[in-house]
Amino acid sequence: MRLNCGFHPEFPDRLKPFNMTSSRSSGLAYVSLFAALVAVFGLIPKIDLPLGVPITLQTLGVMLAGCMLGPKKALQALLLFLLAVAVGLPLLSGGRGGLGVFVAPSSGYLIGFPIGALATGLLMAYLPVNSPRRAAVSAFVASAVGGVLAIHVCGVIGLVTLAKLSWTQAFWGTLVFVPGDLIKCVLCAIVVHSVARGLPDWRFGGRSFQ
Amino acid sequence: MGSFYSDHRTWLHAVAAPLKLLLLAVVGTALYVFNSPVVLLACASLCLLLFASLGRATLPARKLLIMVVAAGLLITAFHAYLQQPLVGVISALRLLSASLLGIALMLTTRANDLLDVLESLLSPLNRFGIHSNALALQVALMLRFTEHFFIQWKRLDDAHRVRTGKAGGFKLLAPLTIRMLTSAQRVADALELRLPP
Repeated sequence: MRLNCGFHPEFPDRLKPFNMTSSRSSGLAYVSLFAALVAVFGLIPKIDLPLGVPITLQTLGVMLAGCMLGPKKALQALLLFLLAVAVGLPLLSGGRGGLGVFVAPSSGYLIGFPIGALATGLLMAYLPVNSPRRAAVSAFVASAVGGVLAIHVCGVIGLVTLAKLSWTQAFWGTLVFVPGDLIKCVLCAIVVHSVARGLPDWRFGGRSFQ
Repeated sequence: MGSFYSDHRTWLHAVAAPLKLLLLAVVGTALYVFNSPVVLLACASLCLLLFASLGRATLPARKLLIMVVAAGLLITAFHAYLQQPLVGVISALRLLSASLLGIALMLTTRANDLLDVLESLLSPLNRFGIHSNALALQVALMLRFTEHFFIQWKRLDDAHRVRTGKAGGFKLLAPLTIRMLTSAQRVADALELRLPP
């Protein structure tokens, strides 16, 4: 059944590490799973701020994808999600979808999703994860840099170019979201801690099995 | 995704899936372009009329519709509390219109037909070395997992209620994550067996 996983066919199932099916199949499944997670967070009703940018839980999905899957698959997951949005599926918070969302004031944040996932994954791949607590701390740091800093930089660029705000206005505007986003980083760290305890063989940040 | 399909034939069943998907994409984009509450109210009324015209076929989606209306009311109430009731009304109308069209599409179109449309839409990507069939499979899996998240959450919440008499809330986040990851692993195992080498 799993002859191509790199182990002898007689290798007992109970000794096989979790996640040892070929990278193509597991890639397909996990990329879809995390794209679905971002979509699920989008189904939770959003709250609009006067700036034209909504508060949503979807950035938590971006952080989790980066921490759990690593840079390459996290990027694929978020690109898959954006593809589904672009073809018109109402997966963004508030039931939005279609090509129109890519030219809205908040589109910088949207384009920042895959970039943030990539940055989170890249950092998570290099930070220590050899105990649940270290994995949680690494997840917090990676999400703060990738899921908060990278996304907000893209968001500010979007606000300046599309909403015609000045850099200072856009900077102060985006700061409103930072406390909420840091809470999402804590939630991401808690989930990573639970997974590190529940699935000790999980390869955080997409690192190769050692 | 497939579980919403209604076998009770309506006029919308006869409309081709590509046309319905195109309508959803166009209206989804238009909803975001217009900011006038009057235009959005007219759009929501049209969507409601279209939905009502499906008659008995809408029965499987009744609960979902109640949830959408409740979410719309909550959004409006929250924005009214923030002194911007108009923004709340606009958001709620957009949510209602998009959800009604989305539900109507799911009620009257088989999942396989939608995937065929998606695959043909993505086929130009084959020229750039991206396999459109793999991408369509991923979108299908994504939609299936979206539904599965809610099913798993409901199961865990029910089990928690039986044990403690209270709702699970955030305590369920860890078991839900682990369950979903193991589900994805099982899907990966199944794909390993079924996909061509």
